[in-house]
Amino acid sequence: MKRGLWYKVVVRDHDGKVLSRENRRSRSMLGNWYRILYAHMAATSTSLIRTDGIDRGVINFGDNWKFVAAANEDYMGVVIGTGVAPVTIDDYKLESQIMQGTGSGQMRHLASTPGWPSVAGSNCDFLTSRTFLNNSGGSITVRESGIYCRVKGTTYYGYACIVRDVLATPLDVPDGGSITIDYTLRITA
Amino acid sequence: MMEGQGKRTKRTAIEALSFEARLSYKVEVTDKDGRVVQYEEGPSHSYVRQWNEILHLQAAAIYIGGGGTVKMTDGSTESNAYYSVRSFASNAGIGIDRSGLRVGKDSTPVSINDYALGAPIAQGTSLDQLEHQLTYFTAPSVAGPVLSFTMQRSFVNHSGATISGIREIGNYIEFTGSMLGRVALGFRDVLGSSFNIPDGGAITVTYTLKVIV
Repeated sequence: MKRGLWYKVVVRDHDGKVLSRENRRSRSMLGNWYRILYAHMAATSTSLIRTDGIDRGVINFGDNWKFVAAANEDYMGVVIGTGVAPVTIDDYKLESQIMQGTGSGQMRHLASTPGWPSVAGSNCDFLTSRTFLNNSGGSITVRESGIYCRVKGTTYYGYACIVRDVLATPLDVPDGGSITIDYTLRITA
Repeated sequence: MMEGQGKRTKRTAIEALSFEARLSYKVEVTDKDGRVVQYEEGPSHSYVRQWNEILHLQAAAIYIGGGGTVKMTDGSTESNAYYSVRSFASNAGIGIDRSGLRVGKDSTPVSINDYALGAPIAQGTSLDQLEHQLTYFTAPSVAGPVLSFTMQRSFVNHSGATISGIREIGNYIEFTGSMLGRVALGFRDVLGSSFNIPDGGAITVTYTLKVIV
């Protein structure tokens, strides 16, 4: 089987100097990813708990999996948090998400745009990346990351957590600094 | 009994154990009385680039005119692919051989750039043709840290003769471009042994899609 998800995390200070890095294979593509896939492959619907904790299901629909996110949007795209609870297959949100803003414990969410898949040798990589700026006035420790995407049930639009990782090492982002998360979905033939 | 039949083969899954998102297959040939005469299971090696390209259409919400490019199973390229309700659809009906699970005779190793089976078997009852049954799915189920679902299709041989030399399996997935119902290769596997389907018999392909945290 030649398919996997990797993440890379880079923390910088206010001068852009790299303070820490983490580069690992994600173990945490969640059940919701495959529930959406099933709905599309089988052209049907199935149950799915959204980030609001409510099971409104998912049907095959054009907007599903959308995780391109504009600046300031903290409900879609790559997201980060401070939670440390071990990942489970039915996780439906980050344990403790860091929200958009400049208040205490908040970070500014920049735009998140998935790149075009690229082929090199026998690999096909699909990268999505997002940077978060800490202008809160204090240091913030990041311990988890993930991806939220758009989903549609039979009636309602909403958002689903499809990836969640607990970082191997908590990463302190100083005031004025930033943290960048890259997720790469790689297929190898 | 034909050469290669009666064997039960389990291909090495060691490398699969190191990945959290697993795809595996099972292939079974039965004779006209329903007896299993040949069997193989193993880890799939073979998502191909179109899988990520169609996922990208969805994730980035590539709209009409957004430059989405996906190579189709006929070898031509759709350059106006966009996100759609049909992305990844594989629920092919009876007699439909343009989408869903397929079988073929080519044994060329899988490449990331594969866009079709090398020598797919067509729908029908003529020489070297198979009757394509429904591609159907089991719903996702969770057991401990695992979520999985399966897709399965049977192909019946009413050609009047044994069809020998089945070496490849794969899935043709739909997407949307300048027209509805575009089709691309999603994954392909070359089997460890050659499969022979007696007249009146059938070959059944089952893929299991699984994620483990």
